[in-house]
Amino acid sequence: MKELTLEMAIKALEAAERWARDVAGIPCSTAIVDKAGAVIAVHRMDGAAMATTDIAIEKAWSAVAFKIPTLMMSRWLDPRNVGELLGDHALGMVGRGKGRLCFIPGGIPITDDDGEVIGGIGNSGIPSGVGDISDTSVSQAGISALYDA
Amino acid sequence: MRMSLEIAKKMLLAGREEAQSLGILCSITIVDENGWLVALHRMDGAPIPTVDIARDKAWTAAAFKLPSSDVSRFGTPEMSGLGLNAQNWNDRLTTIPGGLPVEDGDEVIAGVGVCGGTPQQDVAVCQAAIAAIHS
Repeated sequence: MKELTLEMAIKALEAAERWARDVAGIPCSTAIVDKAGAVIAVHRMDGAAMATTDIAIEKAWSAVAFKIPTLMMSRWLDPRNVGELLGDHALGMVGRGKGRLCFIPGGIPITDDDGEVIGGIGNSGIPSGVGDISDTSVSQAGISALYDA
Repeated sequence: MRMSLEIAKKMLLAGREEAQSLGILCSITIVDENGWLVALHRMDGAPIPTVDIARDKAWTAAAFKLPSSDVSRFGTPEMSGLGLNAQNWNDRLTTIPGGLPVEDGDEVIAGVGVCGGTPQQDVAVCQAAIAAIHS
């Protein structure tokens, strides 16, 4: 796997949708971006809130931009981590990136076999960012489908 | 009929097949009756800005219930709504051809926008996507 194609993106989105519907039971939006952060595909499930598409795109973009899951970025802003991690320094990043930078958990970078970031996936609509049923786990379900033999 | 992700996927697939037969690389966007994004696909190799332009066309078509190219009619003083075509009041508004409203009977249920080919090719892809609804 060297480059994300539309076909692979659709495969990941379908898997994410299945997981969101059958396991979580919550409608949501999922987005796939390429290694430049440019959108490849977005799906909004029936019943998911209208704003979720843009937030899903922002999460995918942010995951690519920092090459880490947005879950890890959200920890920079957690008041319990002030003085540790990036602490106050991270507050300056809020609203940066032409408004695209998003610190909400749910975005995960997609890497190739060498660990290079080749794209990202973002999900929005599950009312929790962390835990078993969360935006992050929907995104992970999407990524897992990319590695099916 | 209401727009659903299932219908949107069917439209995107038909639009992509039409684009392939025309030999163009494009982005196709489906929005609901209020202009909100339902699904979008960018074909491999299609330029990055086509995503947003296709979405703008779809929004314009759904919001005005008109083909995006027809919105330029609001530039004539004889029309009611003079100035609605002015592109400085809304980030999404565009008068570029390639966005069509999706109609079910006399009701607009969605908008489709395509960017990547000539205006005629973009419109042809839109029409192919719309034709797939009832198949």
